[in-house]
Amino acid sequence: MQAERDSLEKVVCETEVEIKNADGLHMRPAMQFVDIANQFDSDITVSNNETEVDGKSIMQMSMLAATCGTKLKIKAEGSDAAKVIGALRELVEEKLFGEPAP
Amino acid sequence: MKFADFVCFKATVPELQARDRDRAIAEIVSSLDKAGKLGKGKCKEITRAVIKREKEASTGMGKGVALPHVKHKLVKDVIAAIGLSSAGIDFSALDKQPVYSVILLISPADEPDKHLQAMENVFRHLQQEKFRKFLRQCRSPAQIEDLLREADENSSL
Amino acid sequence: MEIKKGIAVSPGISIAKALIIDSEEYRIPRRSIKASERTTEIQRVRNAFKGAIGELTELEAAHSKAESSKIKDIFAVHLRFLHDRSLRKRITDLVHSESVTAEYAVSTTLREIASHFSKEKDAYISERAADIYDIERRLLIQLLDRKREDVGHLTEEVTIIARELSPIQTAGFNRKFVKGIASDAGGRTSHAAIVARSLGIPAVVALEDLTESVNGGDTVVIDGNRGIVIVNPDDQTIQQYQEYSKEFAELEHKLDAIREKPAVTRDGVKITLLGNIEFHDEAEAVLQKGGEGVGLYRTEYLYLNRQTEPTEEEHYQAYAETVSVLQDRPVVIRTLDLGADKYTQRKRFAPEPNPFLGLRSIRFCLQNLMMFKTQLRAILRASVLGDVKIMFPLITNLQEVMQAKMILRDVMDDLDEESIAFNRDIQIGIMIETPSSALTAFSLARDVDFFSIGTNDLTQYTLAVDRGNELVSTLYSSADPAVLRLIRTVIQDAHKAQIDISVCGEMASEPEYIMLLLGMGIRTLSLTAPMIPEIKQMIRSVTVEDCNNVARKVLGMNSERQISNYLRAAARKILPEAF
Repeated sequence: MQAERDSLEKVVCETEVEIKNADGLHMRPAMQFVDIANQFDSDITVSNNETEVDGKSIMQMSMLAATCGTKLKIKAEGSDAAKVIGALRELVEEKLFGEPAP
Repeated sequence: MKFADFVCFKATVPELQARDRDRAIAEIVSSLDKAGKLGKGKCKEITRAVIKREKEASTGMGKGVALPHVKHKLVKDVIAAIGLSSAGIDFSALDKQPVYSVILLISPADEPDKHLQAMENVFRHLQQEKFRKFLRQCRSPAQIEDLLREADENSSL
Repeated sequence: MEIKKGIAVSPGISIAKALIIDSEEYRIPRRSIKASERTTEIQRVRNAFKGAIGELTELEAAHSKAESSKIKDIFAVHLRFLHDRSLRKRITDLVHSESVTAEYAVSTTLREIASHFSKEKDAYISERAADIYDIERRLLIQLLDRKREDVGHLTEEVTIIARELSPIQTAGFNRKFVKGIASDAGGRTSHAAIVARSLGIPAVVALEDLTESVNGGDTVVIDGNRGIVIVNPDDQTIQQYQEYSKEFAELEHKLDAIREKPAVTRDGVKITLLGNIEFHDEAEAVLQKGGEGVGLYRTEYLYLNRQTEPTEEEHYQAYAETVSVLQDRPVVIRTLDLGADKYTQRKRFAPEPNPFLGLRSIRFCLQNLMMFKTQLRAILRASVLGDVKIMFPLITNLQEVMQAKMILRDVMDDLDEESIAFNRDIQIGIMIETPSSALTAFSLARDVDFFSIGTNDLTQYTLAVDRGNELVSTLYSSADPAVLRLIRTVIQDAHKAQIDISVCGEMASEPEYIMLLLGMGIRTLSLTAPMIPEIKQMIRSVTVEDCNNVARKVLGMNSERQISNYLRAAARKILPEAF
């Protein structure tokens, strides 16, 4: 996890996570992700190699269609950036969205 | 309403001694009485009521199952018990076949909705051949309880 | 002037200005708006979202006890989509940048998203496309709701033009202003056609591309006798059609004259003619046309066009009013036959892949006893007011009869408890409309008081054809030898068991089938009121002996075409003016 302070005192946090649950980022996980993201103030962007989407939008997140094994970069910008990155990382890599591993 | 909500597993009669309908009904009601589900001294009256209703219209649904039931003032909650007969009992069923599984249901007279919910549940499972088959194959109260609890969990058993 | 040919489904002639309405299958054309209208349009988008969220939240609350987590998930997904700001922004941006209507922006945006999903290989993800279409529909319903009111607030006579009409929409038409109906899709026996017929509104369907050839306000002639629609007719054509219209009215008048005459064959056999109704206020029309009672009261319409289920009082009011109009004449009330149609599909959030063969009708009722009981109570309460009979639809086996009767008895016990009067000996009948019930009619006959053959569904199920699907609707025919064989079996079984039997499907309203039905032993027909005079005319013109001969010949044929040609020729000889 890298934290930088830019000149406008906005915190930016980034991390890379790997989708570990068998069924990947289908609707239910995407909903959980978006629900957590929306609890925080920071802007959240999620990207795979091809696209970058708004992590608070269910429409965009579900279009990511990330399967098991896909790596995603999550970037948060805002006062609670560190907190939201932590929560999201926990959801994806530790809790596996409450779903079974392959 | 799930089976577990209204079936008294303790009162299951895995092998009915009775060979005829009225006695089979009496046997199951008495079993419910022994399990303490009917309140003092109501056994005879309730048995009479179930038999009376059965006489008016057979609840032999065909495919070896009968669903004798009655709504009675003296009962506070929906209560049911299962009785199985390997020899088969004549319930004047629609398909003229003997009955091997009897589900006896007693509902409070003033709670028609609860009665319907229990009936809906029974209908739904009895529709399924697998369920009927498994029920008929049960030999012990424990097996019947397992079957019903599993049916509750998985409504397409 | 443009002349288009379709299928005539409801007789009569009308000349009126076109009013085009969007069907619920929403193909939203691109319509531009003025730059000054953009703000209003964007607000409409916002309101649509708000309305859709409100509706969905209400529905979610109503289903909070749903055991299936899958159902809860679907609600959750849809609500999150509706709350998604970037989705809304994408739509409003489109309104702004291209100056298009809210409907167009919603439809285009969501369809783009849906197609993105459906391209994905992963099944979980490609299934989402269906959710997106559903959300599109929900938003469009919010937006178009105002437009729908236009049909409810008509002030002049119009011809309704649509791509497709649902029975819900058709049933809402005001006969005073809606003079004619034409649609691109649909078939002869689709529900919308049935409703148009019973409302007496001339209608032509299956025109394929009519909506592309008409503009709102064009003059349109509907020839519901010949299946022709003429857009912007020239003066000569208008005159011609005004004359046809007069002639047709005269024919109707002639048929009206036999209203008082009995439905007796030339050799003195009495046939009972009853009416099929969908709304209680059609009972009057049945009597006016010479019907002797109601042989089929379709109660589905009590459930359509509303968000909540009808209460027992609402049921009772409808039944009581029907009975009071018919006095001591028979009324057969059929319990809820919904299914394979929008109401139950909307109720089920995991839509059935094959609703036609799914949890519909009596099966749906036996799985929803609270709702079923409400209707049964109302029917029983109304049974003291006249000759009320109850009929269960889509019966496929003895167990269903058993269960339905069991519940009816339980409901009777409740009414006894509450000292509410009802007819304990109410006659109980069933519809025979599936191959299984037709083939086991002999055993079913032992436990019911009467049968009524639903030839529409019986034909569909037997021939495996969807009558509303214009790609195959020509395969649907009640003259098919397989169907006729089943009908004959049922009639024989009913006679053997000495129970009453009637035919209540469309076959009973078609003159070319009357001789056949009579010849097979039918003595009671229930049909749509407007056709009663013509059918009575047919009956009064034949002898049962001739009918028996016709039936004998037909049952020896094995080609549908041969049979229907023969029947048409035989009927034309008897009643040339009907053809």
